[in-house]
Amino acid sequence: MLRRNLLRLPAFAALLGLAGPLRAAVSGLDDFHQALEKRRWLLAFRSVPEFAYEADARIRGRLPEGLRGSLFRNGPARYEIGDFRYQHWFDGDGMVQAFRFADGGIRHQARIIETNKFRAEQQAGRALYAGFGTLPPDPRPVTSPDTTNTGNISMLAHGGSLYALWEAGSPWRIDPESLDTLGAHAFSPETRGAPFSAHPRIEPDGTLWNFGYSSGAGMLVLWHLDAAGRVRRTGLVPCTPMGMPHDFVVTERHLVLLIPPFHYEPDEATRTFMQAHRWHPERPTRVLVVDKADFSQYQWLELPAQWVFHFGNGWEDGNGVIHFDGARNVDPLEMIEGFARVMDGESYTGSPTRHHRYTLDTRAGTVREEPMFEADMESEFPVIDPRVSGRRNHRLVMLSRSAAEPHEHPMLDSVTVYDADRDRATRFRYPAGVVPEEHLFVPAPGSAPEGNGWVVGTALNYATERTELHVFDVEAVDAGPVASAELPYALPLGLHGKYVAA
Amino acid sequence: MFRHIAAGTLAIGCLGISGPALAAELTIRIHDIPSGGGQIMIAVLGSEAAFDGKEPAIASLILPATASEITVSTSALPPGSYALRVMHDRNGDGEMNSNLLGMPTEPWGFSNDASGSFGPPGWQAARFDLTDQTSQNIRLNH
Repeated sequence: MLRRNLLRLPAFAALLGLAGPLRAAVSGLDDFHQALEKRRWLLAFRSVPEFAYEADARIRGRLPEGLRGSLFRNGPARYEIGDFRYQHWFDGDGMVQAFRFADGGIRHQARIIETNKFRAEQQAGRALYAGFGTLPPDPRPVTSPDTTNTGNISMLAHGGSLYALWEAGSPWRIDPESLDTLGAHAFSPETRGAPFSAHPRIEPDGTLWNFGYSSGAGMLVLWHLDAAGRVRRTGLVPCTPMGMPHDFVVTERHLVLLIPPFHYEPDEATRTFMQAHRWHPERPTRVLVVDKADFSQYQWLELPAQWVFHFGNGWEDGNGVIHFDGARNVDPLEMIEGFARVMDGESYTGSPTRHHRYTLDTRAGTVREEPMFEADMESEFPVIDPRVSGRRNHRLVMLSRSAAEPHEHPMLDSVTVYDADRDRATRFRYPAGVVPEEHLFVPAPGSAPEGNGWVVGTALNYATERTELHVFDVEAVDAGPVASAELPYALPLGLHGKYVAA
Repeated sequence: MFRHIAAGTLAIGCLGISGPALAAELTIRIHDIPSGGGQIMIAVLGSEAAFDGKEPAIASLILPATASEITVSTSALPPGSYALRVMHDRNGDGEMNSNLLGMPTEPWGFSNDASGSFGPPGWQAARFDLTDQTSQNIRLNH
């Protein structure tokens, strides 16, 4: 029995998505800290000095009465162990934060996510594993995706539980009160350790849809969970070569994934997961359209080569036509080079990300795209009112910057609200020295979908060395924040969050 | 055949081979065993074909997973080339459980700590020469 049952064991190693001999890289720790003296915006990528924070925020203005709940956020935060510094932003250990709104004030908490990786490295006192874009000296073998799962991308509140999400392994269950890490979560025995992306989409009734990708297996995993977090169905769709999809689109009837031609092609020179990929601008972006009711029913379409980290929303009319929008880049060079350079204290100029709308006809088997805004508007982190997820939305909130304006740093500097009914974008540009992070649409209690609400987002003020939070009226973002909060410390730039009403 | 050193007992199990005249001593230490019970299953493989599952294992052994490390030894194997495959059958169903992608969902390990981290571990990575006194320390991956 033993012999037979161990037969499958070796095969799984190929699923990990890494290959090649190991060689240690040189750490850019000294370079970074020297550069930080000159380029203060690099505070955005400074390793957190502590693993836990707790403080009351100082409030300016008046927080709206209806804003009662918690904003949970996540992002890479710890980049240095001993004298070793990671070489890619995405390799940082995740830190979970809670901004708790109550009685006109905000209590802030932050805790490092105690993943298997974090615990093993704390015990060893050094970096141990090859990550997304870093290979530490004398690495230990990566024996499953969860070995290097930093849980550092986003948050999910679902079925009464809170999770920190990575994209190629298990969700980490987080205690919503203490922010303690409770462990890697399996939704079912069959899905233990299976990839669960950082961008699940939740329907108004609580139904959750997600995907995951296994580069080594050349397989997409599709997830359908009920509102209580139980697995209703999973599906597998072969996808070779795999292309590092980060987000997807869910409509009333379909799931849509874009597989960019950033292809997984490991060879002898491969050192890290990112290095195992090659950009092929001459190849198409493959578009997968899956029937939500039957995961075995799908079709593949094609778009020109492009890189889309994030989609705003998707919806469909009664004629089988899907409309969706996303932050489109011509290539992933900002991720490949930019997010590595900042770790060494360098700046970068990436290709601008321009928001596009897509029209996909499931019956004709066609898909087309067009830019939504003027050419000098760059944008990312598109979000909508979560109550209209998968339905037609009339508002879109995103971070942006204008190429026509001078900038001190390579990040975005504005928050923009797009009103689709009036085809009008309004914008608030943060003052110099302030770098906004993802801003969310937070509905006002009792309001109609996309009615009253606020835009709530955090920002790093590198001039004052403080992390801030700002609240805007969704209808008048250009008027500036109605209330702001300041923490007594600065945390590095994070990625995604979720607001949970009290 | 096997002596369970941790428990100080003798002869846990012998699976059909008799000790040859020129026996060598193999000591197997398995560590990083997670708590929560279950059983540790060890397969002794005597050839590449056995490693690849085309021939039966020379011997297999099942021990209760009662501690974070277990040490067993045997003098029943003749000198030669071997590999060890270890799994921690946490739920006691006798199977190496795997998820929908075929990835193991229970802890496992190989001789030489061959992990297959950057490609599947093969016979060459896991094989070792058993001489008169040989030890193998195997970390369970989980």
